[in-house]
Amino acid sequence: MTDRRSPAIRALRRIGPRLAPLTLIAVIVIGVVVGSVGGLRLGAPRSAAAWAFQAALDGAVARGRVLVAFDPDIGTYAEIRPAVRAALAQLAAHGASLSFISFSPEGRALAVAELDRLGRGSVQASHLLDLGFRAGAEAGLIGAVRSAIPDAASGALADGLRADGGGVAAFDMTLVVGGTEIGPRSWVEQVAPRVPQLRALAIVPTVLEPLAAPYARSGQLAALLATTRDAAAYVDLVRGDPTVAGRPATTISDLPPAALPILLGMLLTLGALADAIAARFRRPTDGEEIAA
Amino acid sequence: MRRSFPAALLLIVGLLLLLDLLVANPSLDALTGGIGQVVVVLFAAAALLGAGALAARHARGTLDPDGDRVGSTLVLVGMAVVLIPGLLAPEGASSAPVRWVVGALLVPIGASLLALTAVFVIPAARRGIRLRGHDNGVLLLAAMVTIVLLLPLGGAIGEALASAAGWLLQVPVGGVFAGLLLGLALATAVAAARVLFGLGGADD
Repeated sequence: MTDRRSPAIRALRRIGPRLAPLTLIAVIVIGVVVGSVGGLRLGAPRSAAAWAFQAALDGAVARGRVLVAFDPDIGTYAEIRPAVRAALAQLAAHGASLSFISFSPEGRALAVAELDRLGRGSVQASHLLDLGFRAGAEAGLIGAVRSAIPDAASGALADGLRADGGGVAAFDMTLVVGGTEIGPRSWVEQVAPRVPQLRALAIVPTVLEPLAAPYARSGQLAALLATTRDAAAYVDLVRGDPTVAGRPATTISDLPPAALPILLGMLLTLGALADAIAARFRRPTDGEEIAA
Repeated sequence: MRRSFPAALLLIVGLLLLLDLLVANPSLDALTGGIGQVVVVLFAAAALLGAGALAARHARGTLDPDGDRVGSTLVLVGMAVVLIPGLLAPEGASSAPVRWVVGALLVPIGASLLALTAVFVIPAARRGIRLRGHDNGVLLLAAMVTIVLLLPLGGAIGEALASAAGWLLQVPVGGVFAGLLLGLALATAVAAARVLFGLGGADD
């Protein structure tokens, strides 16, 4: 079959797919350089999930001892990091103590970095506790229901938790930062039947939203942040909260995500997907490889 | 009925764990706590064995002239970069070098690899639609609709897109996944009951 299109168009069609990744990178860099643009908004307007999450972490209800179950995946943590930091900022601003525990190695590695960041800020050392890594995945989680405070942990916070039993029930609330290995599902299935009075909130990446959302709708999770737009809306709410904004310890994120590069990347992806569908109906040309 | 030792062990452990959830008894609590500790140790041992097997395999790979020597070397170097500072520093995994490896290397590399998925999915989609046009076409259309609904736009358009995305997630997608979770839970419960009571072919 002879391709009657001009050589320039044929050449462009041949090298186009190879240039696509470079084009994507160039477009995203341009978007980052240009910065914020009017009319674009990363946060979902009137996000009920964001309002519910902020209300659940409000100072009236979220003061006291909070267990931060930190098990995100390294690959998707960048997506939820701004929301996680905003939640920690909101809790710290209201005087809640933060005790970090991890049941996955990736979560532990990321928890150490977050603890270091919070410790370098103005979160009081007496309000920060590292409960470390518990091996055994869900078996470790069940073990933490009985005893979550390691022998090496010291200080008034650790002693107070030990005095109240030393298990998960000694905490007033749990913030589950979930990933594929350990997340809200594990907490609802393994911990909720054993400690029914414990309030649990969760932040998970978008890919886990369909699995976590049924637990939020049934009330087994007090609040859930699971999509990028809801998470961005929540970050906006926390930035506007006068009790949180301006506190050095509560730096929400070093680099807030910009809407323009995300929009450009999404439009480019849309174009590529539309072209893939259109290619189905185009007659194959000499230069195009027929994979079949 | 032929019954193996693992099936009997599973039956006893399963019944003990169930009883512990139903009955408040300190002795039973201590017993199931001990079983939990054994499981934790088994997990830890499996992880150590897995890491050892991976290291041994790639150590052999570096000597294999037909193998991927560069890849094997990179795996071993990567393991060493994380392991050695963690073992040598007194704070272990909380030490500054390990924190640097995680923050400056692992997290950006992991996020970049995940971001590259989109780049690799597009050529795969093009090939897929040529092979199985109808099925993959539906998949790509769904992906396009999802992307459109998540476009970061403000104003009335953004509001409409966000509410449509919320409806899509809560009603059709949420319904499917809620059903999936219920179905999985029921299937797991039935399979567990069959194993516990030695019904069908699952007892051996």
